[in-house]
Amino acid sequence: MEEIVLGIGITALAGALATVAGAAEDTESDIGSQGDPNSQVQLAPQMGYIHRIFNKAVSGEPPAYGLWCAIGAGVAWAFLQLNYNPALAIILGSIVAVFVQGIYCTSGYLGRTASLAKFKQPVYIDILKSLTSVTMAHAFVAIFCTTAVCYLMSAALHHPFALPLLGLIWGIALGAAGSASGNPFYGKERQYQNQKFGAGVPISASGNIVRYAEAGQRSSLDNGWFTTKFAGPASGICFGLIVFLELWRTVLFEKALAGWGAVIAGIVLILVFTFIDRWIEVWGRKTYGPYTEPEETSS
Amino acid sequence: MSALGGKAAGGDSINPVGTVVGLVIILVSIGITAVLGSSLVIPLIGIIVGGALIAFGVHFVPVGGAPAAMGQAPGIATGVAMLAAGAGLAGLFGGAWAFETTGDFLISIIGGAVGGGLMMAITCLMVNATYVFAMGIPAASGKIAKDPITGDTFPEYKSQGTEGHGLPFISFVGGVIGGLIAGLGGTIIYIELLDAYSTGLATLMQAKPEAIAPLAISLAGIFAIGFFLVNAVLAAYNITGTIEGPHDPKFKRVPRAIIGCAVASAFCGLISLLLVTNIGM
Repeated sequence: MEEIVLGIGITALAGALATVAGAAEDTESDIGSQGDPNSQVQLAPQMGYIHRIFNKAVSGEPPAYGLWCAIGAGVAWAFLQLNYNPALAIILGSIVAVFVQGIYCTSGYLGRTASLAKFKQPVYIDILKSLTSVTMAHAFVAIFCTTAVCYLMSAALHHPFALPLLGLIWGIALGAAGSASGNPFYGKERQYQNQKFGAGVPISASGNIVRYAEAGQRSSLDNGWFTTKFAGPASGICFGLIVFLELWRTVLFEKALAGWGAVIAGIVLILVFTFIDRWIEVWGRKTYGPYTEPEETSS
Repeated sequence: MSALGGKAAGGDSINPVGTVVGLVIILVSIGITAVLGSSLVIPLIGIIVGGALIAFGVHFVPVGGAPAAMGQAPGIATGVAMLAAGAGLAGLFGGAWAFETTGDFLISIIGGAVGGGLMMAITCLMVNATYVFAMGIPAASGKIAKDPITGDTFPEYKSQGTEGHGLPFISFVGGVIGGLIAGLGGTIIYIELLDAYSTGLATLMQAKPEAIAPLAISLAGIFAIGFFLVNAVLAAYNITGTIEGPHDPKFKRVPRAIIGCAVASAFCGLISLLLVTNIGM
């Protein structure tokens, strides 16, 4: 019993850390403009829209975060073998990983933006100097929290995989959850605020991203300020739920019904989420109704 | 083909010459494995089946890439390989854990499948929550007029100039099924590799199986992740861009991917099993 209570406590802590990791990951990728909506940032100068948005996209978020979290967890594991305090080991691992991320950011911004020179897109040194450190700070939070989750899974819940392997797995899952929940909000709701709210972006509007803020030109810091309100928490909830429920169903039900308890709990959870999804879909259709032409609504 | 993927155009049929060559590679791989160690044939067949399952599962996952991130196409706003690998690896995590605690093959592979399905269910739910509550857009498919499960009609909800948006219920169900199948395939590969490495490494290193367990688990885990990425990336080439789920016309290409991934898994499986064959070096 005591073991189960401890397990649930660790599970809750892991879920909370994962929620923070998800929120930081999405904000980092939105400020750094990494992930799928970045294609519009890359496309904009080619369509004649010069901008001051950070243009990173070193690779998709999942493999990039898989790498960074694997580095963080790997270095932390090495320090743990030297009998370092776990908290210190995880911090040192995350610092090494975040320097790799910073190098990727710098080379990604310079390389990608330089490739747009023929479309008159300048490389803004002030953007590089001010935003790289901001993305590194957010990445540090995401990597630290994910590595801490992996450490809890390994040391407290006794998962058979080694710490670096867990870092790779949960780094990829973190990136997948963040890009699924956060990317649409950044891509549509932020980059295309010049488009009608409550409708998809027409293909003909590709590349025409919003480039001006309330005062002066918009930079990616404004994007971080905006997406922290919804996309960050949404990604955090997504990743937090994945980590929490995956651990919860195993810790609580693994010994029930000769091992089938965790399987049944998982199936019940899937059915619950299916029901909620259907409810959201029906609510959206009823509340917003069919699509209407912009001319009709503006009159 | 349009930038959004569009209709599956050409190349849907199976190439008979390529298929025969692929079958020969599979048979040669099994043959070489049988010569090097007859006990490794079953793990190799498990790896081939697992690889084929991953390829099959990937095609169910609704992926919209960059267009989905702007509400230009339905699906999840990330790449095929990334998402399928994310879901499958979450399943692998659960499956490996279940195998450690129960030691039961069936419970472990089903546990792995449920882990992948759960990850996809949560992710797909959050995609719809973002579209509906943050962007004010109801789900609509551009590939079909009516949801085959719920009967909802889509054309009147689709925004002008887009190929649909959000995640219709059929795509949600497809995503969960994809996560289940990919998680199942990945866990089968992991357990087969673990089985081969546990006994093989113990013999090669003349150590007790308990002593080399951490090494065997780590190696099996790393190779299982590698197999995931190989199969997910190959399947992504088959899909080319976006796919909405099982109702998408591109889903018909799935036999091609299964053959391709089975061949790749056979050859990669042979390489991964060479680690525990005593070839006289």
